[in-house]
Amino acid sequence: MKIRLFILMLSACLLGACSDVSLDQVPQTERSEINFYKTNADFYNAIVGVYAAMKHPGIIDKGSGSYLYMTELVTDNTDTGAARGGTAAELYYFEDFNFSLASTTLSNAWTGHYVGIARTNSILDRLQAANIPQASKDRFEGEAKFMRALFYFNLVRFFGDVQLVTKELTSPYEANSLPRSPAADVYALIVSDLKTAETKLPATIPNTEAGRASSWAAKTVLGKVYLTLKQYDNAATKLKEVIDGNTYSLMPKYADIFPATTSFAANKEYILAVQYKSGNIGQGSDLWSNWGAVNSSVALLGTGGGVGGGFNRPTANMEAAYEAGDLRKDASMLSSYKATNGTTVNEKYVVKFRQQGALNADSDVDFPILRYADVLLMYGEALNELGRTTEGLTYLNLIRKRAGLADKTGLSQADFRLAMEQERRVELAFEGHRWFDLVRTGRFVTVMQSKGFKVQPFHQLYLIPQRETDLNKALTQNPGY
Amino acid sequence: MTIFSLCRSRARLFGLAWLLSLSQLLAQNTSIVTGRVTDETGQPLPGVTVLLKNSSNGTTTSAEGTYRISVSAANAVLVVSYVGYLNQEVTVGGRSVIDIRLAPGDKTLSEVVVVGYGTQQKKELTGAIATVGSKDIQKVPVSGFDQALKGQVAGLQISNTSGAPGGNTSILIRGIGSITGGNEPLYVIDGFPVNNAGIGNPLNTINPSDIESIDVLKDASATAIYGSRGSNGVIIVTTKQGKSGKARIEVNAYKGFQQVSKKLEMMNAQEYAAWVTEARNASYLDNVVGANVNDPNSKRAISYQIPTIFQDPSKLTTTNWQDAIFRTAPIQNYQLSASGGSDNFRYSISGSYFNQQGIIINSGLERYTFRTNLDGKLSDKINIGVTLSPSYTKQSDVQAEGHYGALGILSAMQSMPPYVPVYNSDGTYSSYVVATEGQPSLANPVQIANEYKIKPSQFRILGNAYAEYAILKDLRLRTTFGSDINLFKTRTWQPSTINPSTPSTASARNDENTSWLNENTLTYKKRFGNHALDVVTGYTIQRSFTNSVITNATNFPDNLVQSINGGTVTSGSENIQIYTLQSFLARANYAFKDKYLLTATIRRDGSSRFGTNNRWGTFPSASVGWRVSEESFMKGQSLISDLKVRASYGLTGNNAIGNYRAIGQLATANYIIGDALTPGLGRSSFSNADLGWESMRQLDIGLDLAVLNNRVSFTADYYRKVNTNMLFTIQTPAATGLTSAVVNLGKVENKGVELSLNSRNTVGALKWSTNANITFNQNKVLQMSNDAERILSASGGRPAYAVTQAGYPIGSFFGRRFLGIFKTEQEANEYKVQPNAHAGDVKWKDIDGNGVINDNDREVIGSPFPKYYFGFNNTLSYKSFSLDIMTSGSVGQQVYNNSFYLNNSGVQNNLKYVYDNRWVSPDQPGNGLLGRAIRGGKNDNTQYSSVYLFDASFWRIRNVTLAYSLPTALMSRLGIGSARVYATATNLYTFTSYMGYDPETNISGDSFTSFGLDFGAYPQARTITFGVNLSF
Repeated sequence: MKIRLFILMLSACLLGACSDVSLDQVPQTERSEINFYKTNADFYNAIVGVYAAMKHPGIIDKGSGSYLYMTELVTDNTDTGAARGGTAAELYYFEDFNFSLASTTLSNAWTGHYVGIARTNSILDRLQAANIPQASKDRFEGEAKFMRALFYFNLVRFFGDVQLVTKELTSPYEANSLPRSPAADVYALIVSDLKTAETKLPATIPNTEAGRASSWAAKTVLGKVYLTLKQYDNAATKLKEVIDGNTYSLMPKYADIFPATTSFAANKEYILAVQYKSGNIGQGSDLWSNWGAVNSSVALLGTGGGVGGGFNRPTANMEAAYEAGDLRKDASMLSSYKATNGTTVNEKYVVKFRQQGALNADSDVDFPILRYADVLLMYGEALNELGRTTEGLTYLNLIRKRAGLADKTGLSQADFRLAMEQERRVELAFEGHRWFDLVRTGRFVTVMQSKGFKVQPFHQLYLIPQRETDLNKALTQNPGY
Repeated sequence: MTIFSLCRSRARLFGLAWLLSLSQLLAQNTSIVTGRVTDETGQPLPGVTVLLKNSSNGTTTSAEGTYRISVSAANAVLVVSYVGYLNQEVTVGGRSVIDIRLAPGDKTLSEVVVVGYGTQQKKELTGAIATVGSKDIQKVPVSGFDQALKGQVAGLQISNTSGAPGGNTSILIRGIGSITGGNEPLYVIDGFPVNNAGIGNPLNTINPSDIESIDVLKDASATAIYGSRGSNGVIIVTTKQGKSGKARIEVNAYKGFQQVSKKLEMMNAQEYAAWVTEARNASYLDNVVGANVNDPNSKRAISYQIPTIFQDPSKLTTTNWQDAIFRTAPIQNYQLSASGGSDNFRYSISGSYFNQQGIIINSGLERYTFRTNLDGKLSDKINIGVTLSPSYTKQSDVQAEGHYGALGILSAMQSMPPYVPVYNSDGTYSSYVVATEGQPSLANPVQIANEYKIKPSQFRILGNAYAEYAILKDLRLRTTFGSDINLFKTRTWQPSTINPSTPSTASARNDENTSWLNENTLTYKKRFGNHALDVVTGYTIQRSFTNSVITNATNFPDNLVQSINGGTVTSGSENIQIYTLQSFLARANYAFKDKYLLTATIRRDGSSRFGTNNRWGTFPSASVGWRVSEESFMKGQSLISDLKVRASYGLTGNNAIGNYRAIGQLATANYIIGDALTPGLGRSSFSNADLGWESMRQLDIGLDLAVLNNRVSFTADYYRKVNTNMLFTIQTPAATGLTSAVVNLGKVENKGVELSLNSRNTVGALKWSTNANITFNQNKVLQMSNDAERILSASGGRPAYAVTQAGYPIGSFFGRRFLGIFKTEQEANEYKVQPNAHAGDVKWKDIDGNGVINDNDREVIGSPFPKYYFGFNNTLSYKSFSLDIMTSGSVGQQVYNNSFYLNNSGVQNNLKYVYDNRWVSPDQPGNGLLGRAIRGGKNDNTQYSSVYLFDASFWRIRNVTLAYSLPTALMSRLGIGSARVYATATNLYTFTSYMGYDPETNISGDSFTSFGLDFGAYPQARTITFGVNLSF
């Protein structure tokens, strides 16, 4: 009887509750590599993850990602309203041209782009063997290569020579001695990826797919790449294709380009934009609440609208850059607001991405990456460089006309360049173009120094983050840092 | 569930009491003898068996040493026996009160120590194990036994990192062995290794008064039997078991109040106005070319403006914000227990109610605990038993910690300008939003405490059943089956009223943690002449399941419904984790002539946490002991009553590496496609099939010495632990697409010396005994990865303030070296490496000597870990009075005061210390540590440097208890066996030079790579309680 008690206890255990004591346990509530990358839906989710990389803190994030510090704050367009010290220290690196090797803004930028690239590589590595429809394969390949090119294009412009990774790295140590590849090799991959992408991507993106890349997006980036490489023929050809495609056009009113109320279908000007959506689902933008005048809070942003970070504050020089009567000015920036007690606070702030409401870091306003106005201006620039200045002026004047400004006429090639620099600055202000433009045209040092910034020629490339050079001894630092 | 409903009704407790007293009454039909049993020094002895000779009628003494027994004949003889004392027989002879004093036998040596999967006599121990008895656990009125253990055991470092009711303690046995894995010891409660999860401090679910003993297993010889869970040490908790004899009923109650143990001196409104004005002007002059200090606000950017309210500072009144958030808070505890039984059946049951309000308004903890321990003898060969301990804990938490921007109450309180009142004249909360003049927005700390609601609760039932079968006289088979069912939840509500810029949010989180365990052991115990052998072998399986569901809601139309139901659910997640463990274990103890001792253990663990290439691990240990005092050459001397030397070496593991870490996973990377939220995924971790446990090799050499007939006993241990294959999050180049990977590598050493002394100093009418212990531990990282030479820890808005790197202790403070304050403009100009510096700015060391100060000019600037820590406890008794004084302390550790940093940044500056000691002018240079008042100066004085580190050495009078035992004769007339009343003061005084609230509190919790961070941690309370113990 006593023995039986034991047998009972033991068998109750062994047969019943103890049956699930296997040492092989796999996550039940997380997806693991063991069961992913099988179906069409898996690949689609992975592609969505690639687009989502644009919301990495090192790229656009909610709007206050590294990208805009590196392209706007660093220039004469904006400074910061936040006081020195504490977390604002990072912002002042870009003001003072006194960068820390440990800057998290810069190391995030490096990381964010490689996170995006790795996601494309994971897809591209597995796509050909996958058992999914060919049409899906083509489109996913086009999207992955387009995004990979876009990420590398940013990297090569920010940092110069960078590590070239074109497949998924499975060991944590695999990149520990991977050196930087020459920028030319990086550009070769970018061009080849974009050439594939423009053939594999669809020309039209239905409303239900708003946010995904079209073949026009690939052509636009390719045009910009050629422009950067000073291959003006190629640039003009590619950009003309976009113009002749007649898919995009200028919005009649500049102020209508940006608001959340302009739907994807109605916005004829956006070729690619980072998609935001409010509702506290982690997909909102802070381009209004964080960029609002510093500490402006309820007075400017409204109840529940956030505090106002003043991160990218237009400079007086930026304000002065707008010609008298430029319709774009008030749609882009304002210089004061009324405090709750009625007094006027003189503080500049960006209004392009304004959306009033209880939307603290959670607005709907999308952020343009590729805009048709940019295409027209780039085309004009390419024509001018090809000696077709007069022809180029028509495209410049298209933009000026919408802004309510008089046409420019009879410019020399050199004057055209300056006019274009000015026009791009005000047309594309706060959209992440200024630094790229000045560096591309070789004007960064001259322009910035003339305005008293402590810029030196080496600042045309950012430093390689210390985090990376610490981990990889083969990684050289850019000169000057 | 009936037990659950029982938990919720305090009234049931009293019903239980009534039933128990009824059974007591039924037995009373003969004459009663009462009395008190004491030791040779007159100290009461609890748990002494008092038996009527030649009968089964017996009882045991209460905590105060009193007993009560019914006798039928006047010539009855009482047999009084107690482990470690000589038996005594007393003839009743018609007396009704008989006090008995027992003479010591071989007391300390026959103490039984609970070891893993068995017990051992202390004299036979070859490992380093310390035991704390129930009496010492109950001395301090606290919610968890971990807090009570403080200062009582050498090698056990317990820090009260939070003073909140039910707040966290961090516990280390012999230093930090793991960088990123867990450092908590394994807790084994009545044989059940529990998962340490729950709300607040999970050990709160055990009522300290239910504990019979706590054994702390420190060296590898003791812990290797727990294999892959042993390397952080093991704490074995044994709850009270019934003893055969008459029913004994005890009532324990205490009630008291708590107050914050220290208040900080703050600036008044005028000082504040002067400070801010000075800071704004200094910053304006520093940053703006051509600025003049007399420029009006209209000429200045916001952050340089002087708030208009400062135009006439004399009109400002000062609010004492500390008085507004702190309060005198009650604490109370009631417990009723009964135990007893016969030879064949024993029981011990109890119920308790504990209620502690917090010293910050709106915080508190309430707890109901119950326990039933039953043991039965079915036959000569079979014993069975069951333990059930349900508990229900309910907390009201407040957000004390962190930056005011994250609604940290203490940070908001210290940053709130003193001229702001708590309430506006219309009774609404004041808040501080005058952005026009560059002040930060601050939420009202009183409002945060009242309106930001964090409500956790936890129901936990630990159940364990065993059956033991004696196959042969010396061979026993034991099977246990236990389960730990742990359900906890948290509800939070943050209304938009606190900060108009932030919409209302609510969250609901429910957790289910269940674990079951089956253990089967075979024990063989036999003596053959001079040889004694004790062998245990076993097989165990454990499965642990956790499931947590979190739901967040926002978009509340109003604040009427304060749950997720009132708004729109915007995010949620469910996480399930399962982990399994199968083990084989064996231990053999061998003694030759009771002099030469040998212990060997081995355990083999297989765990689902480990990668497929590394699934099973083997953990052996061996130890030897020599009882020198048993040798013939030691006979005939009377000085040394016991002397033993022992040595052990072994390998243990740490499996606290998290679940599924070996498997590559994908994480959510959602995006908006077609204006709709669309699920996306991206790789989030590498696969690592080699991932395994952390290994620890430990050497221990110890000595146990007792002299003067055991009046003074002394234990010393030297240990050296080396942890390898640590769970290590290495940084990976971003080019991999991931920034970190979890691997096993690195090497950390802890070595140290532990000394403890027990002494009965005087044994006359006045009795005085002392327990003292001290531990010196040195922690050093021996080796890191080539790829991750150092790990920087970020916290409190600092990207890096501590470092873990070879050659230094884990989590050493890391930053700039502060050299002083530039007293004059000339001094500042002469120091070329800081071109932006002016008089009153901070001077740093140019560590790399390259003429520029930047992030490369950082080095190890301090350590958050003490050089040594100690406990010094004394008990004095005279007749019926006794006085306990427990003190503990630690020396040499530093704290990074981040609150102070914040209060020195020129934006929100309320500490009087900052005001009084700042640099004002070359003639008024301050204390040389604090720079000038400036907000956002170009020199950036707020850069983290050694000036923000403070010596946090302290010596704390932890507990003082004065007790009086009422005369037994008087009590017996009232039908009470014994009664003791006492008053206790806890945390009475702390000797320290630390300028913050408390040198021990920090917000690091259990993270040791970012330890010693004071950023608004919940301060410690000083508690005064009054209590009574009654037994019937």
